[in-house]
Amino acid sequence: MTTGTVHLEQATKRYGALAAVNSVDLEIEAGALLLMAGSNGAGKSTLLRLLAGLIRPTQGRVLVNGQPPHSSLESRAEIGLLSHKTLLYDTLTARENLLFYGRLYGLENRRETAEAALANVGMSARADTPVGTLSRGMKQRLALARATLHRPGLLLLDEPFEGLDRRASQALSQRLTDLRARGETTVVVVTHRVDEVVDLVDRVAVLERGRLCCDSAWRGGGLEELQALCDSHQEGV
Amino acid sequence: MIKGVVTILWKDLLVEWRSRERLGPMVVFVFLIILVFNFSFALGGSALHEIGAGVLWSAFVFAGLIGLNHTFAAELDNNCLDALMLAPVSHSSLYLAKMLGNLLFLLVVELLSLPFFSLFFNLSPGLYLVPLVAVLTLGAACLASVGTLFAAMSSNSRLREFLLPLLVLPMIYPALIWAVKATAIVFEHSRPSATGALATAAFWPGSLTEPVSFLLVYSIVFTTLALMLFDQVLED
Repeated sequence: MTTGTVHLEQATKRYGALAAVNSVDLEIEAGALLLMAGSNGAGKSTLLRLLAGLIRPTQGRVLVNGQPPHSSLESRAEIGLLSHKTLLYDTLTARENLLFYGRLYGLENRRETAEAALANVGMSARADTPVGTLSRGMKQRLALARATLHRPGLLLLDEPFEGLDRRASQALSQRLTDLRARGETTVVVVTHRVDEVVDLVDRVAVLERGRLCCDSAWRGGGLEELQALCDSHQEGV
Repeated sequence: MIKGVVTILWKDLLVEWRSRERLGPMVVFVFLIILVFNFSFALGGSALHEIGAGVLWSAFVFAGLIGLNHTFAAELDNNCLDALMLAPVSHSSLYLAKMLGNLLFLLVVELLSLPFFSLFFNLSPGLYLVPLVAVLTLGAACLASVGTLFAAMSSNSRLREFLLPLLVLPMIYPALIWAVKATAIVFEHSRPSATGALATAAFWPGSLTEPVSFLLVYSIVFTTLALMLFDQVLED
């Protein structure tokens, strides 16, 4: 089984009459970093939730590593999710949060893995601090440690830079660069801050009104070109 | 599955230990209800047999609703529910962990409030109270099984504190009737006989079998139904 491969076939998610995601066909090869762009309400977050298996498609198929993530535990074990919400428990300490998720993912050597993850994001000194008392930047670093604790083959990032200051954003970008350098993880990132990922992207997809209107390789280039590519297909531009 | 249930349950207990958001208000609420009923009905020594079982279960159900409202509170704060749904454990594990957590909290509340209830309603201690353990456990299991499902349903609603009782109370009504009936049967054995001694009836009164059986069947049926529906509820 190749880890981190994504296959969407006519994937559609409807809420009543509204098609939040409409007949999307998409293939993402292992190890790629896909930037998902689109205006507000275009369906980007819904598409990420489909990929994460948090919701089922109304029609079509969503496969991660060849299996539907909603019903396959093996497939879900390969997915990491980082959003602007931390997905962490405020009353538990940083270490307790990671140990809890480590247990949930059935990791062996949980303690060592958690300590290594804390060290990777520079949080060892705050390991015993309740998450609720950490700054926004620290929480987001810890959230990244949580999302990557089980070394997912597919990492989904939903507006990961939201609310972060310049320094924290750069630290997060650096962590993504490190992940990309290892080449083990496929990354799908939804963000309006394309400047933070311009050097990492190798593919761009643009959603508009739930439809995939652009899916092209990114061969590298400047921020303005990438921004222009993202904007060119958006409504009203 | 068991590993997932234990992990989530342990996390919930740790979160409660740190925040103390659930158990404290539940216990205080039960104490207050018992006090209010005690002073509202001047029934003297007959209060236990006239209204005791009803008072006890009213207190447990309303305190239970307070606890049930907090079932998914920790998960909603930072979207942790998404992380639990994404984890490679079945969604049934999540329901069972939450249900067992609610059951545990209800049992602790029952345990803490019984001495207080005994004090105000002149409930004499004795072996005849042993069947009450089964009645209280099964009654709590009925409330936890139904309540956990509806707590998940109402958790995303702004009106969840209002919505949850509206959903739970009609559904729990049949179980509540049988729980009150069973408790009244147990209390009946504390009535002094003509000679002044406490009744020394059989350890398990025959009349108790029917209501206890109903509570058992109710809790099994609703736990099974909830397990079948929980996946859909989570997604919606």
